[in-house]
Amino acid sequence: MTELRQELARAATMLDLGRYEEASSLLARVVSAEPGSSRAWCLFARAHLGADRYAEAVEAANRAAAIEPAEEWPHRLASNALMHLGNHTEALRAASESRRLAPSYWQTHVCVAQAALAASQPVLAAAAAAEARRLAPNEPDVHFLSGKVALARGDLDGARAHQESALALDPAHSGAMNELGRIRLRRHDTVGAIRHFINAARTTPGEHIYSRNIDVVVLRTVSRIIYVFVLIALLMLWVPAVMHVDRFPFVLGFGVLALGTVASFAVLLLRLPREARMLVRRTLRTRRVATALAVAAGGVAVAFAAVTFVPPAELPQTLPVAIIVTIAARILATARLRSPVGRGPGGGRNQPGSPARR
Amino acid sequence: MDPVIESLRNAVAAMPDDVPLRLHLASLLLRAGQRDEAVRHLGAVLQRDPGNGEALAMLTAPAPDPSVSPERTVAAGPDSPPPAVAPDPADGDSSGGEPHTDPNATGSYDWSQAEDELRDVLPAMFVGEAGSTSAGLDEARAYDAEHTGLTLGDVAGMTDVKKRLEAAFLAPMRNPELRKLYGKSLRGGLLLYGPPGCGKTFIARAVAGELGARFITVSFADLIDMFVGRSERNIHELFEVARRNAPCVVFLDEVDAIGQKRSQLRNTPMRSAVNQLLLELDDVTSGNAGVFLLAATNHPWDVDSALRRPGRFDRTLLVLPPDGPAREGVFRFHLRERPVAGIDLARLSRLTDGYSGADIAHICETAAESALLDSVRIGEPRLIAQADLEAAVSEVRPSLGTWFDTARNVALFANEGGAYDDLVAYLRKRRLI
Repeated sequence: MTELRQELARAATMLDLGRYEEASSLLARVVSAEPGSSRAWCLFARAHLGADRYAEAVEAANRAAAIEPAEEWPHRLASNALMHLGNHTEALRAASESRRLAPSYWQTHVCVAQAALAASQPVLAAAAAAEARRLAPNEPDVHFLSGKVALARGDLDGARAHQESALALDPAHSGAMNELGRIRLRRHDTVGAIRHFINAARTTPGEHIYSRNIDVVVLRTVSRIIYVFVLIALLMLWVPAVMHVDRFPFVLGFGVLALGTVASFAVLLLRLPREARMLVRRTLRTRRVATALAVAAGGVAVAFAAVTFVPPAELPQTLPVAIIVTIAARILATARLRSPVGRGPGGGRNQPGSPARR
Repeated sequence: MDPVIESLRNAVAAMPDDVPLRLHLASLLLRAGQRDEAVRHLGAVLQRDPGNGEALAMLTAPAPDPSVSPERTVAAGPDSPPPAVAPDPADGDSSGGEPHTDPNATGSYDWSQAEDELRDVLPAMFVGEAGSTSAGLDEARAYDAEHTGLTLGDVAGMTDVKKRLEAAFLAPMRNPELRKLYGKSLRGGLLLYGPPGCGKTFIARAVAGELGARFITVSFADLIDMFVGRSERNIHELFEVARRNAPCVVFLDEVDAIGQKRSQLRNTPMRSAVNQLLLELDDVTSGNAGVFLLAATNHPWDVDSALRRPGRFDRTLLVLPPDGPAREGVFRFHLRERPVAGIDLARLSRLTDGYSGADIAHICETAAESALLDSVRIGEPRLIAQADLEAAVSEVRPSLGTWFDTARNVALFANEGGAYDDLVAYLRKRRLI
């Protein structure tokens, strides 16, 4: 029994250090030798969770729950794994069971709040988060989750206040920094958002979601610039036809448009911190962005050529084709930009201080 | 799908060198009737431990005939040798009913005995492992102060690393007069960092050899033992052993585990272990007792800044993936005791640009495994050929992508004070930022 305790202590230490594979290896042997140990199965579930093996985590947590039905931890672990598997109903059920078994333990309420949030039940999530705050007012993770719940409910001020409370309790809480960035984004403050994401990435460089969030913001900005560029180009194509202007100065118009677009992007770049500018340069050099820009510019160029070089008498027939080409180019360009981005800001897993793990 | 087998598969994938784990998985696979996969694991075991009796016994044991019931196996008579692997009691549930046991019925399968046999195997797999207990560390068992017998000449390629090592660490150590003349202190250790599997430990051993010093490695497992046991006392004992064996290099492998940012450590015993380590470092470096400190980490950004203050691990050395000559050397090393023929090392080196030393070791193992399986199938041994290795190269992907993703984040966002300028230069050279 002492040996089992010692092996479990080793495994728990490995898990605390984030060494999930080594812990899995150790625990695989422990549960083979001692299949009746609920704690061993729980630690095994936690190791699987850390290693992104969610189905195995559910299996191990269920084993633990079968051995000790009155223990809340297995249900919490199962809930977390089920959430990652996208089974939000079962995740919420497991979380509720953990809360039923240990209603005075704050982590069970956090678990319910997380599961309810994932199941798009923000009212239930808010109630659980409030209870968790009442039970553990000094836990940064509780405020972090409360902020996420408030953001989901559209309460930007409340969300910011909760995340600032989390940072006051733990100044290195990169998850809270990331959330502040998301809040800034919701307020259309791109530069402010990127600054928060950079702070998060600086604090926890091993968490790739933060730099990916910067990528997402950059791509979104490029996408919007393309959108505005194409919209103005369309107007320039359309206006001469409806206003019956004999010859619109297309060369001048498109020249000013192109310059304006580049200038607006340059201004945005200059407002960014140095690190973000480096990342933007790298992002813009990617094949994805280059293709999107080329498609958008190509489409507009084709339309421009069509209206410039066709006789004015044929403009009514050419113009609709030119507009369709431009819109198609815009759609293709933004689709190309967005397709490989993956999860949006805050969609990452393994956020530091993820409160569901003990 | 048996969850235990699945878990063990994952564990083996994570720890491919763990022989007892592979043996255990192979035995379960044999019982589950998955002989092909079991043979593959047994082959891998024999690559690492060619004389492993348990693996040989399992390999040579006849494949179970599914038409033979457990009753018939046991009823073969008391003189028959016991089956190499006990049948799985779970098989009895396939009918859907409760397994019925009657101890008095002769000729029926003895489930209790089978379970006992199973239990005999399992605890022995890790209880007997060295270092599995931590309380009251025994000096002789826990820390071997050895002469490594290696020098930097044994490190293939990596000329830049050797040059920087010479300038930053070895030259001051080897020239005490010049050191005195220029007032250069011996205080402080050297932190080797870089992607995993790229030779940091090997280089540390070579440094000890260059200094003519004994070498004590404190591995991750030792560190875990420290945390689980009486951490402060264990750390103190480690440094006592080093002092008694001076000149001695203490090498803390994966120092990010023990030196993790204290803000990230919620576990109180770990925090106190880190504090004790800091005390010992200060004592060793100020006492100049002939104890030299080396440490290695894949994640220097996770190391507590207190550990990197002047006088502690204040010098860093980036150990990058092996260059061309180093890759050739790694191939040569891992193939030296294997039956090979017609291997073009230069071509393999070209094909594996961006691979770590551990990746190359994995390639060699994969090629050997393929040749071994072929030999088992055709019934006669054959040599490992260039084609096996090239097939393995296309199968094994470089494992350093994740590390470089993190390194890129560090270079972009966390290079405060130019601490990672050498890393930034490398990433720029490879167009990774």
